[in-house]
Amino acid sequence: MPVQRSTSAEAAGIATFEAEALAYLDSLYRTALRLTRVPADAEDLVQETYLKAFRAAGRFEPGTNLRAWLFTILHNSARNRARDRARDAVTIDSETVERAADALEGFTFGARPAETPETLLLRETLAPDLQAAIDALPDAFRQAVWLRDVEEFSYAEIADMLSIPVGTVMSRISRGRRLLFDQLTVGDGVVLKAESR
Amino acid sequence: MPNCTQLDPLVTPYVDGELAPADRQAVDQHLRVCPSCQARVAAEHAVRDLIRAREAVLNSLRAPAGLRARCATFDTLTTSRPGVASPPAIRWRARLTPLALAATLVLIVGGAFLYQVTDRSASVLAAELTADHLKCFGVINGILGTHDEPVAVESSMASRFGWRMRLPEQPDRAGLQLVGARPCLYGEGRVAHIMYRHHGRPVSVFMLPKTTRPEEIVEVMGHEAAIWSAGDRTFVLIAREPPAEVARMVSFVQAGLR
Repeated sequence: MPVQRSTSAEAAGIATFEAEALAYLDSLYRTALRLTRVPADAEDLVQETYLKAFRAAGRFEPGTNLRAWLFTILHNSARNRARDRARDAVTIDSETVERAADALEGFTFGARPAETPETLLLRETLAPDLQAAIDALPDAFRQAVWLRDVEEFSYAEIADMLSIPVGTVMSRISRGRRLLFDQLTVGDGVVLKAESR
Repeated sequence: MPNCTQLDPLVTPYVDGELAPADRQAVDQHLRVCPSCQARVAAEHAVRDLIRAREAVLNSLRAPAGLRARCATFDTLTTSRPGVASPPAIRWRARLTPLALAATLVLIVGGAFLYQVTDRSASVLAAELTADHLKCFGVINGILGTHDEPVAVESSMASRFGWRMRLPEQPDRAGLQLVGARPCLYGEGRVAHIMYRHHGRPVSVFMLPKTTRPEEIVEVMGHEAAIWSAGDRTFVLIAREPPAEVARMVSFVQAGLR
C-alpha cells in the first residue's frame, strides 16, 4: 500500500516516522538474529520489516507504540517465511516443542544440584554463556524470554506479536526461564541436547 | 489456599511483579508452605535477574552498517512510488512466431552487469537465459512449492543486487502468480532471477543492469524471449507462450515493475 504524501506537513510527519522507526534498527536486528540464528537471514528479515513498515506507515496510529508495531511486523514476517519455506530453523508455533518440554519437565527441573545456591551460581554466569544458553532454547521459549527479559515488552504486547494468548506467553516465558536455569546450573547441556533430538 | 496446580499460571507474573495484590498474597501464602514452588520461583527470579544484569552485553551487538544504509533508502523508494509515469509501451518487432500450446513464461531479471552476456547477440543472450530458466525451474520445481511474498523478493533484490524495485501489483490480473526469486547459477550469481507462474506454467524474469539493448523478441528453444531496456537496465522475459500472450505479460511487467 503506497504511502499517501500529499502535503508537506504529511511529508514531514513521515520523515519523523521513518527516523523514529530506524532508531530501532539495532534491537530489531538483535531480535531477528535470535529468531533466525543466521546473520544473512536476520538482515533479510530486518529489511523486509522496514519495507513493510514504511509502506504501511499510513496505517500506523501516531501515539501508539511504534517499537511494538515494528516487532510485530518482524515476527509476522518471520512466521510467514517459516511457513512458506517449511524450514524448521524458525519454528515459532511449536506446540510439539512445548509437549516435549512437558515430558522432560519431571527430570529436568530439580535435576540441578540441590546444594547450589541459584542466585550465586547464576551471578557467576558470563554473558557469552548466557547468550549461548538462550540461543540453544527451543524457538518458542527463546522468543518469549527474549522479548520479555531483554526487550522488556509486556505480556500483552508479546501476545500480539506472536499471535498467541497471553496465558501461552506467560507459560512460554516460564518454561524458557526454567530451561535456562537448568542449562546454566547443570552446566552440561543435557536438557537442551535431549530437546533438540 | 491454592494448590500447586492452581498456582502454576501465577508464578511468572508473580516473578515479574505483575500480579494484583490479592493474587500476590495468595502466592506468598502458598510459597511459605511449598518448597517445590519456592524453588521454581527462585529459579525464574534468578534467570530474570541474570538476564537483566547482562542486558547491556546482550544488547551491545549493532546492526551491520550496510543493513542500516539499505533500510534508510527504503523511504525514498516509497516516496517515489505513487504516480510514477509508466514507461512507453514497446513496439515489438514483427518476429513473433506462433508457438506450442505448452506455455512457459520466463521473466528474467539480472542485477549485475554481465559483459560476457550483453556483448553477445540477442539470440545468444536469449538462448543462455532460456537454458538458465529451464535449469532454475527444474531445480525449483523439485525443491519448492513456494510462493514468496512480493516484499520478500523485493527485499532480496535490494540486498543481493542493490536493486530497489517494486514488483508489479496484482499479478493475478495478468494470470501471473509469484513463485519467488533466487540468485542464478548463470553469470556467477550476478543475475537476479524472479519466477512466476502464468496460469500454472513456469515463468522467469531476469534483469541486467547498466546495459541497454534494442527491443526485440527472439524465438529460441521453443520459447519466446522478450528483451527490452528501461533506464540503464535490460530485462529479458522468457516464456513458452504464444507471442501475443508474451507481449501481454511484457506490457504488464513494464507497466508495473519499478
